Amino acid sequence: MTSRLDHLNPATGQQAVAGGDDWSFRVEGLTKRFGNLVANDDITLRVEPGEVYGLLGPNGAGKSTLVKQTIGLMMPTAGRITLGRFDLVADPDTARQLCSYLPQAQMPIEAFRAREAIELAGRVRGGRRTEVRARTDALIEALDIGEWRNEIGQKLSGGVKRLVGFCMAAVCPGRLVILDEPTNDVDPLRRRLLWKEIRALGAMGCSVLLVTHNVLEAEKSVDHLAVMAAGKLVAEGTPSSLKSTDRSQLRLQVMLAPGQETPVLPSWAGVSTRVGHNLVTTIAEDDAATGIAWAASLIDAGTAEEYALSATTLEDAYIRLTSHLSNEDDDEAPRR
Amino acid sequence: MTMAVVPSSTVEHGPARAWHSFRSMLYWHLASLRIWMMTLAAVQVLSGVGFVLGISLFFKHIPTSAALFVSTGVPVINLVMVGLILGPQLVADQRSNGSYEYLRSMPVSRSVNAAAWYTVCLIGGVPPMFVSLVVAWLRYNVPLHLSAMIIPAIVLTSFAATMLGYALAHAISQPMATRLITQMLVFVIFGYAPVLFPMRQMPRWLGTVNWWFPFRHMATVTRAALTSGPSPGLVTSYIVLGAWSVLCAGLALRALGRRP
Repeated sequence: MTSRLDHLNPATGQQAVAGGDDWSFRVEGLTKRFGNLVANDDITLRVEPGEVYGLLGPNGAGKSTLVKQTIGLMMPTAGRITLGRFDLVADPDTARQLCSYLPQAQMPIEAFRAREAIELAGRVRGGRRTEVRARTDALIEALDIGEWRNEIGQKLSGGVKRLVGFCMAAVCPGRLVILDEPTNDVDPLRRRLLWKEIRALGAMGCSVLLVTHNVLEAEKSVDHLAVMAAGKLVAEGTPSSLKSTDRSQLRLQVMLAPGQETPVLPSWAGVSTRVGHNLVTTIAEDDAATGIAWAASLIDAGTAEEYALSATTLEDAYIRLTSHLSNEDDDEAPRR
Repeated sequence: MTMAVVPSSTVEHGPARAWHSFRSMLYWHLASLRIWMMTLAAVQVLSGVGFVLGISLFFKHIPTSAALFVSTGVPVINLVMVGLILGPQLVADQRSNGSYEYLRSMPVSRSVNAAAWYTVCLIGGVPPMFVSLVVAWLRYNVPLHLSAMIIPAIVLTSFAATMLGYALAHAISQPMATRLITQMLVFVIFGYAPVLFPMRQMPRWLGTVNWWFPFRHMATVTRAALTSGPSPGLVTSYIVLGAWSVLCAGLALRALGRRP
């Protein structure tokens, strides 16, 4: 069933855009400075319609700054942001009409029933009542949150609120849908449903810009991704292309015993990161036996409790590029 | 996968879009307040009625002129409370809990959003105002003469207060500063502005200061519409209030559109 939501309110002054127009989202040479701090440093990227594009990076990498400039909440120091033929920097009102947005913070829905919040978001975005209602019901069913349909927001759990927030962004989607950590607090079962709906947005022709820390989830669901660190775009490509550098590498993960200092890393270890008791490093395939012997010696010495050797994932590329683990809470300094 | 939709390919401006956005945002604001609606209504009515009745506890005999002053001053308090005090505090809460960013990202023009909030302030201010007037009339039997000028008086008083509150809310980025300033404004309106008592009871310098601020003029235009007899400086008060309204609306819209 196809419902056109683009012919709503045939208002005078409506600017129609030909269906064949290029609706790609382009960021070109985007720079944002706050005094001496460069939050975005000459960022260039492009998201095609139908594409789910992951924007990865640790806290403070500049992801949210990029998003805020896109939806007209911040002014770039330099560079361009366009969606199709529209200049989003020059016309923030247009940016807000063409982009739907799920922020990382919770949505202001304490006083709304779940279904009402979604419908109202669709109405504010210009949707027709009957079509918005049908789409709302479909989203509620698809995400399996029907039991909370008539519950008011202040009684919803964080995960359900997050899903309602996603529905508010997806009910009447813009040409660009920006989702900032959409899976936060969502249970594993509904995460899978949520990823399916994110993919569905792409299938409808939206460009989806997905901001996340969760590399492992993104690896399975995005078409392209960019990794940001310290305001710079440090890598861009498909998940496979970003992993290719690590193809001849293995991932050695050592769970250190509580209270133990980080052991001195041998020269064959790649860039390593410790988060909590978890020490992760990459090693060459040829060093596998040496790595296992080293990890076993740590266990024998009581320094570590267990270890695992596995194929590298996108997360290892992420660690290499950013010197951070994804989803980390208390990062320590990266180690050689 | 859910039903397919086609993402919007149009950018709409113009009156139809503005009217649609206005209705949606009016519903949004009213629904946002619904769980506190009964409490808010009670606070609004009790603050007005409480003042009208409470003043008689201070004095054994209240002269008719004083009763009339209080009775025609309390409606001003009712009219300004939602827009000037509650509005900025709600925005401060939105800034604190992070939802301010989402609200600013909604595809609604700043002026339409402001108009929707102003309508909420009228809905929240006008009924308690009339409740206060009825209670005052019953308690003191004061000679009230409601004229048609009550309409522009309400419209302008509420607008000036709402836009002042809107400007404070959106121009001040620190929620705590917003809360402190609105608390101070309550103090100023009750104690240091000639709203509930005549200006002749104030030091001359304080009267001069008040001439430049809007609260005295809110009281002048409202009182003129509720009483018979001469209203010196009425036109001036309308002009000053209008100037405050335009200034505050401009500041608020500029603050809302600011992109750091």
